[in-house]
Amino acid sequence: MDGKIIVVTSGKGGVGKTTATASIGAALALEGKKVAVVDMDIGLRNLDVVMGLENRIVFNIVDAVKGRCKLKQAAIKDRRIDNLFLIPASQSDNKNVLDPEEMVRFSSMLRRHFDYVFMDCPAGIERGFENSVAAADEALVICTPEVAAVRDADRVIGLLYARSITPKLVVNRIVPALVERGDMLSHVDMVDVLSVELIGLVEMDDQVVVSTNTGVPLVMQKTSKAGAAFRRIAMRLNGQVDLPIQVPEASGGLFKKFRSKFGLKK
Amino acid sequence: MIANFFKNIFGKKNESKNVAKQRLKFALIYDHLEVTEDILEALHKDMVEVISKYFEIDQEAFKLDIRRSDELSALVVNTPILSAKRKRKQAQPDPT
Ligand SMILES: Nc1ncnc2c1ncn2[C@@H]1O[C@H](COP(=O)(O)OP(=O)(O)OP(=O)(O)O)[C@@H](O)[C@H]1O
Ligand SMILES: [Mg+2]
Repeated sequence: MDGKIIVVTSGKGGVGKTTATASIGAALALEGKKVAVVDMDIGLRNLDVVMGLENRIVFNIVDAVKGRCKLKQAAIKDRRIDNLFLIPASQSDNKNVLDPEEMVRFSSMLRRHFDYVFMDCPAGIERGFENSVAAADEALVICTPEVAAVRDADRVIGLLYARSITPKLVVNRIVPALVERGDMLSHVDMVDVLSVELIGLVEMDDQVVVSTNTGVPLVMQKTSKAGAAFRRIAMRLNGQVDLPIQVPEASGGLFKKFRSKFGLKK
Repeated sequence: MIANFFKNIFGKKNESKNVAKQRLKFALIYDHLEVTEDILEALHKDMVEVISKYFEIDQEAFKLDIRRSDELSALVVNTPILSAKRKRKQAQPDPT
């Protein structure tokens, strides 16, 4: 196999990197691809709980990179989805236990075993970021429609370009009603400011919380709009580049918009 | 569209996202112009070297700055010139 390594990053914390990694990884595995999602947030692991695999961890990425275990032992098979594997972060180590060189070596092994490998990057642009991008072929930049998040995304995009990686933008936590009212940056504004290619639009969705509560993958919840959006991003990554990007719309329709314009409804 | 019609009537002034976008644009311009101390120092050294080829300058008083205003940013160089250097003679054979 000659898998692709995709780093999921953002600069700013809490914008949805882990949610995106788990969801897109699951969606690709459901498509039949062999997928590994790697938690690169050493010392603050997270992806395991989001995927409901926290009770199965024996070895972690540091063990695997340092050769203290085999890759097979560190890659935990998902409970529901065949072909989906989690390589968890270590909880006790310091961020600096790994370095980019080791990651490049480790990644060539990952490439041989998986079709897609997603690196769930920690917030910030320090060592954890360096390690996550070290071997990346592609990058997804997750950003919310907020000034601070967009600014940090711009910084990260600059760093990725410096490494000859052309990132693709995922806008997450969109509130369509706010966008339509002009009180939230639209994806058009964000693409304009960041001059970057867009790959998906994900709206704010209560199902994300439900999914993290239960450990049931978002993309398996039929009614989740965010889940559907992540599935489409996965398809686009998987070569369906012509799949149109759906713009989230506020429910409620014209009448509600009409009334809100006249200040009849808050 | 009806929604657009109302948008035009009421204008875009009170849309807070336009404020956000404008602020972002300026913030990014500033961010992109931010240079590290190392780069400024290297530039300082190079410029002193280049200018010294043509002018006798007070190297201690040489100042290099990035100045920013709302509209644009400028690289400001300020150096007292002590004297112009005489043109170097074009490869004349040494008389001795
Ligand atoms: N589309 C969404 N709708 C609703 N909630 C969301 C959405 N995306 C993410 N969240 C919530 O936002 C929070 C942060 O998400 P997540 O942990 O994925 O961000 P992160 O970028 O990985 O954070 P960190 O930088 O800390 O690693 C979580 O509580 C998550 O459930
Ligand atoms: Mg995270």
